[in-house]
Amino acid sequence: MKADIKWLDDPEVFRVEQLPAHSDHYFYQSKSEIDHQSSYVHSLNGTWQFNFAKTPQQRPLDFYQEDFDATGFDQIKVPGHIELAGYAQVQYINTWYPWEGKIFRRPPYTVDPDHLTPGIFSEAEDNSVGSYLKKFDLPKGFDDKQVILQFQGVEQAMYVWFNGQFIGYAEDSFTPSEFDLTPYIKKENNVLAVRVYKHSTASYLEDQDMFRFSGIFRDVNLLALPPAHINDLDIKPVVNEDFQSGVLNVATKMIGQKVEHAKLKLSVTDADGQLLATQEQASAEKVTFDQLAFSEINLWSPKSPYLYNLMIEVIDENGKTIEVVPYQFGFRKVELRDDKVIYVNNKRLVINGVNRHEWSAKTGRAITVNDMQSDIKTMQDNNINADRTCHYPDQIPWYYLCDQNGIYLMAENNLESHGTWQKAGAIEPSVNVPGDNPHWLEVVLDRARSNYELFKNHTSIIFWSLGNESWAGSDIAAMNKFYKDHDDSRLTHYEGVVYQPDLKNSISDVESRMYEKPENIIEYLENDPQKPFLDCEYMHDMGNSLGGMNSYNDLVDKYPMYQGGFIWDFIDQALFVKDEVTGKEVLRYGGDFDERHSDYEFSGDGLMFADRTEKPAMQEVKYYYGLHK
Amino acid sequence: MAYTNNKLNVVFSDGTLGLGGEDFHYIFSYERGGLESMLIQGKEWLYRTPTPTFWRATTDNDRGSGFVVKSAQWLAADMFSTCEKIELTVDNEKFDQLPIAPYNNQYNGNETAETVAIKYTYKTNTIPSTTVDVTYTVTADGKINIHQRFQGNQDLPELPALGLRLVIPTTAKSFDYEGLSGETYPDRMAGATRGTYHVEGLPVTPYIVPQECGMHMDNSKLTITRTTTQNNADNNPQPFSLSIKKADKNFNFSALPYTPEELENATHQEELPPARRTVLTIFGAVRGVGGIDSWGTDVESKYHISAKKDIDFEFNIEINK
Repeated sequence: MKADIKWLDDPEVFRVEQLPAHSDHYFYQSKSEIDHQSSYVHSLNGTWQFNFAKTPQQRPLDFYQEDFDATGFDQIKVPGHIELAGYAQVQYINTWYPWEGKIFRRPPYTVDPDHLTPGIFSEAEDNSVGSYLKKFDLPKGFDDKQVILQFQGVEQAMYVWFNGQFIGYAEDSFTPSEFDLTPYIKKENNVLAVRVYKHSTASYLEDQDMFRFSGIFRDVNLLALPPAHINDLDIKPVVNEDFQSGVLNVATKMIGQKVEHAKLKLSVTDADGQLLATQEQASAEKVTFDQLAFSEINLWSPKSPYLYNLMIEVIDENGKTIEVVPYQFGFRKVELRDDKVIYVNNKRLVINGVNRHEWSAKTGRAITVNDMQSDIKTMQDNNINADRTCHYPDQIPWYYLCDQNGIYLMAENNLESHGTWQKAGAIEPSVNVPGDNPHWLEVVLDRARSNYELFKNHTSIIFWSLGNESWAGSDIAAMNKFYKDHDDSRLTHYEGVVYQPDLKNSISDVESRMYEKPENIIEYLENDPQKPFLDCEYMHDMGNSLGGMNSYNDLVDKYPMYQGGFIWDFIDQALFVKDEVTGKEVLRYGGDFDERHSDYEFSGDGLMFADRTEKPAMQEVKYYYGLHK
Repeated sequence: MAYTNNKLNVVFSDGTLGLGGEDFHYIFSYERGGLESMLIQGKEWLYRTPTPTFWRATTDNDRGSGFVVKSAQWLAADMFSTCEKIELTVDNEKFDQLPIAPYNNQYNGNETAETVAIKYTYKTNTIPSTTVDVTYTVTADGKINIHQRFQGNQDLPELPALGLRLVIPTTAKSFDYEGLSGETYPDRMAGATRGTYHVEGLPVTPYIVPQECGMHMDNSKLTITRTTTQNNADNNPQPFSLSIKKADKNFNFSALPYTPEELENATHQEELPPARRTVLTIFGAVRGVGGIDSWGTDVESKYHISAKKDIDFEFNIEINK
């Protein structure tokens, strides 16, 4: 297949030759590798060769060819943002699209419902291009194995070539993309070429209130798959009605040449390492383990995030272990009962939550596990028990940390089309996407699917969130249905349906609002409410703020159907810059990079400053959130 | 001059009134309209005369809700209110006119008193105008009771703040207070812990846009400690302190290196000037910070400061022995 730049202009082309989404389990060659480095994973992070082009027309056309002379290329650090490497202008903008005031655009298939807009992004003046090259030899131990190339996050549209061959195209900046390298891989001198565009039709779906970056900003890995490999793991722990016992359903999808010749050995141990169950099954493309029953279970909760250890070993026909997949899971039951109150483990749910963007003042959204661990500690220290992953899927380790440390997750899709329906606060959805638009349906469904398949095994997730501030229509209803069809153990969430009461039956299990005044919440709760109430965003902590939290706390005490909320937000978005006058490191925010249009200091709404120190208001959060632990 | 009778030594000068004791000397200015000097144990504590303060550096929420547009005239009042009347009472005897020449020619320089009260009346340049009385009552032990009365007016917009601002010539090394932990406001103080706290320096909370910060609600005592003065003949590096104590009720304060106007003018922390002074403000009324949103919703009404009603508050400055 040949790459086509016109895919950038077409909302119906969003993944080409990408491997299907699957669970985020880690896999190892042996048990001794667990908690260390898997010999099946080889990081391609580091220094890559790089060329920056201001427009698509200026990109180096044949850079992916094996004989391309890249001596004129610069070097760039992967992962990282192209803007923070100094090539492109940093821009912070809230609801408008980043081309506001510069380029007139309407989303394809809106004003003209039957036609694309040729060149809308592929020939655009504002669509900068990063061309990345990475040369590598096949890592030790990768010979004779299927080799997968895995990008954890690339913003915003990416074409990939390998040893001169086009191998695929991906959008969805915050979701892993995987490609099979096996047909083209060589022992030495492999050349990986990645072309990253700042804009595509995905730009319409990624209009989050944040700094707008581009580039390979999360890890890049080579994966070696053993000949029988667990490609997907589906763990379904179910708490019985007595809340004391439970059952566990486990299924896997296997790939590899020797799938039919292997066997799978499953074990479950408790947190102390006591063996609770074992089971063997013959390997097959799909393996469903016999249901395991547990007569006494420890429930998982934020107070006591008790996790069991599942382990599956893949054993080949010679009796040799060729793969080990560990996964920690917990038993917890989420119910929306007839009283229209959400219960977790038979107790009314109270969300003491925050919205969290991934952020570092030094590296933008390219954050480290240390940053994540620090954030977990901050949450625990301040009685924060829930995180909405605003407004995109986070890096995979975050979900594991939340399982382990007892943070409820509202796992949100990478979707916000704010600028297509809200204009300076006024509602004007004439060019809204996805809306009811059939041409925008598959791309948003794919985002729902990726989010679900990747994270479905995480105990901490109790809500799937369809996206943020994207208006509502049949496309978002279809996303809701996707989750309902695949998962009866969690609830769905979406706020934007408040504008479309007719769709309330098909979108969101909760009445979710943002920045709603306490008196309006009372009005809702006292007038035959049909769904439990959540503030998906409240207590806007911009600057010196967070006054009056007591009025929301009173609602928790008074109304069982008021189930708490997520403070906006966890950390200021600001960047360290060397001050041109004093030479000191200072924090700069929107508009400080000469970028226009910008939304300036609106980027700083965190409970923490951008350097991860707490704002004074945090003691108030700790107090009120401590009342309903 | 010896102070043997535990009385205030009263200096009826032509432009000022001096009040002295064993380890203090205060100068109340008639021409500058306020307390000009507070010399305690040889150290000067005032840079300029204290003035009523009506403004706080705009918070993001105050900007977003439009509050500052409605209440903007208090910024002018904060900067430009003038003293238009001074009343002096010595040992309960109220002077009909200020005791300047030739009235004071009767004195010999040995005058003393138990208690001296001097009331400055400030007139705001708001429309309509109102007045603020600041009354200093000094007793022989050097204690100054400061009482402030804001005259309410039905036609005035809500106040961003109401207090008395004392600008101290150099920055504090630290301050200690008995009150609530952290930065607190009337609508954000439930999470604070009551205790005794030591704060190094004069921290400005580093909100990305400098704004009102550093408020401490509900204190019984504050001690500010400095090590520097502007007195060229003073080379003593030993720390020295001033204490504020509650009078009838606990008081609110902030101790920052900047005036609200200096904070207001900066769009980034690094634009703030080098710290040179201590801006100590004792607040009789503090507006909440709000938090419902930052683009239209006002602070909850019970945390507003109405300008329609009179506002009274007082506190004491005491000499640390």
